[in-house]
Amino acid sequence: MTSLHPVHPNAPEAITPEVAAAEAREHGEPDWLAMRRADAARAHASLPAPTPALRPWRYTDLTRLDLATFEAAAARLHVTGAPADGYAGSLAAASDREIVRTHLGSLLPATEAKFLAANAALWRGGVLVHLPRHSAASEPIVVTLDASALAQALVYPRVLIVAEERSEATVVLRLRSGDAPLVVMGAIEVIGGPASRVRLLIDESWGAATSDFSWVRARLDRDADLQVAALAFGGALFKQTVEVELAGEGATSGIRAVALGDADQHFDFVTLQDHVAPSTTSIVEVKAALAGAARSVYYGITRVAAAATGADADQANYNLLLSGAAKADSDPVLEILTADIVRCGHHATVGPVDEDALFYLESRGLDRRSALQLLVAGFFHSIVGELPFAGLADELDARVTAKLATAAL
Amino acid sequence: MSTPILDVRGLEVSVAAHPDIKIVRGVDLVVRPGEIHALMGPNGSGKSTLASAIAGSPAYRVDAGQVFFKGENMTAWRPDQRARAGMFLSFQYPTPIPGVTMVNLLRGALKARRGVEVPAREFLAELRATLQQLKMDESFARRYVNDGFSGGEKKRAEILQLGMMHPELAILDETDSGLDVDALRTVAEGVNALRRPELGILIITHYQRILDYIRPDVVHVLVQGRIVRSGGPDLAQQIERNGYDPILQELGLSREPAKAGA
Ligand SMILES: Nc1ncnc2c1ncn2[C@@H]1O[C@H](COP(=O)(O)OP(=O)(O)OP(=O)(O)O)[C@@H](O)[C@H]1O
Ligand SMILES: [Mg+2]
Repeated sequence: MTSLHPVHPNAPEAITPEVAAAEAREHGEPDWLAMRRADAARAHASLPAPTPALRPWRYTDLTRLDLATFEAAAARLHVTGAPADGYAGSLAAASDREIVRTHLGSLLPATEAKFLAANAALWRGGVLVHLPRHSAASEPIVVTLDASALAQALVYPRVLIVAEERSEATVVLRLRSGDAPLVVMGAIEVIGGPASRVRLLIDESWGAATSDFSWVRARLDRDADLQVAALAFGGALFKQTVEVELAGEGATSGIRAVALGDADQHFDFVTLQDHVAPSTTSIVEVKAALAGAARSVYYGITRVAAAATGADADQANYNLLLSGAAKADSDPVLEILTADIVRCGHHATVGPVDEDALFYLESRGLDRRSALQLLVAGFFHSIVGELPFAGLADELDARVTAKLATAAL
Repeated sequence: MSTPILDVRGLEVSVAAHPDIKIVRGVDLVVRPGEIHALMGPNGSGKSTLASAIAGSPAYRVDAGQVFFKGENMTAWRPDQRARAGMFLSFQYPTPIPGVTMVNLLRGALKARRGVEVPAREFLAELRATLQQLKMDESFARRYVNDGFSGGEKKRAEILQLGMMHPELAILDETDSGLDVDALRTVAEGVNALRRPELGILIITHYQRILDYIRPDVVHVLVQGRIVRSGGPDLAQQIERNGYDPILQELGLSREPAKAGA
């Protein structure tokens, strides 16, 4: 961890093409990457900052966040578990590979949004997971991004996962920071080749003063399957956009997230399941349990293109309010351009815990807090129970129990 | 005489959200250690409401009277405090709790009741033994609480909890309803196996059948929120034969028409 130039990305002139290109050269990156970084800096200068006027940002107001006071810095990265014949490690160190040049930024172009442009210009370290054809990683690839040594820093995580035909892997991303104020702008791209199977678990355990704005975007080829699960427990503000393009026939995806909030934590989930090819299947399930004055926001779109006949899409957002001051907004949208679909549903609920269930547990001797710990862990179970991550259910139970032990209920 | 396990005095109960809906209208009931009481009465007479109020349900409000448990006035206690003190209610309609396994519920309940974490081995051994006694498959414990259970499975699950919790007062609210003949015998045997000199039992039922297995010392009849008659086991037989009409007529009461809300 070393601090970089005093960058103030909020001010358009702060990220300059020169600074971005210097960043590349300093780390021995190839020319194409230096040029892309410079282009991203130019895009950053011309793109507007997100405001609540933009629908995905409707419920998350950034005016309180003075980005000019944060300085770009790299978090500590640690990667374990390499796929057979593949690669899992530093993206910068692998930047001379053709697949990096082909795919980096192909799904999340710098020109799309200001924060993505900032990331494209200044990302440091970064992670590449490359799964060659027919390869299977027997153990999960665990990427730990530890920003706990940083303060008043802007971190730009960048992850590129390229899963070639019939490859298979589980990638776990563990995000950690300390108590100091931190802003994170992450970009994760997943290229799902034909019949590939990727499981991506994002464990968001940021410290209490971290704000994270991150994108996950995937493009799935024929019969590819991607299951993304996010566990959101930490952070002051966590805004995550997860988008999957079901581009090949028979592709399937699952986007699942659970958030447990307390105090004035703010969780904002945006999802897009974009059915482009026929016979594609997708599931979205976002669940939030909110104590204190915590807040959750969900905005999700299921899009089914005219050509995506036989699509099967389900989108659900459930919010459990554990205190009177907690609040949740839910905004699911369907855009269906063909009548020939198997299913296209959406569900959303916002409400307190079931009083009958609470009384039932209390009548078994559990005090109110213990009963809520059990109910919330159970509420999350339906999501995690379907994910193939060993030990996840127990880990989740333990974390729910720990957080609710002190939460304002 | 020993201190009663349960001593209900002049209890009046209304619906918490609608205090004008008065359901229990002055009930006195004393259950001593080792005693079995049966509570019968027409549909809607207030049996489940009385049971819920004794268990401390926040859905109901106590307007007058007290509930003493082992000599202590617990009218103002929270339901979990009552349960930890040794009270157990087997629900007429057990609540499904998706996501929470029977094992997790039982582990939490046992820890609460005993005040210490029960070692995993000990817990599993007890769970196995109780499941076996109730002729329940072990897979049952891994299922979500009452979620997708058949009517009979729900009742067995209640008795499984009763068996694990070792209460001093067990209120069985229509635990016999919905059980087939064999299941009824199994459940009744399970309850009998739990009998200890200090355990008091209150069985709410519509049928004589369960009382053939679990012989009551006293039978009470609740009508319109009041206990209008108490007697020996023959009272239950009498009701089985003739229904409630003779009792109602004798008291100058008419059978209440089923009504919505009030
Ligand atoms: N929460 C409530 N809100 C409104 N009315 C209620 C509520 N709880 C109970 N009641 C009414 O109080 C009366 C007594 O209900 P309760 O369930 O205690 O009867 P019960 O004797 O157990 O009947 P059953 O034999 O059918 O189980 C009924 O008329 C019922 O509709
Ligand atoms: Mg009843």
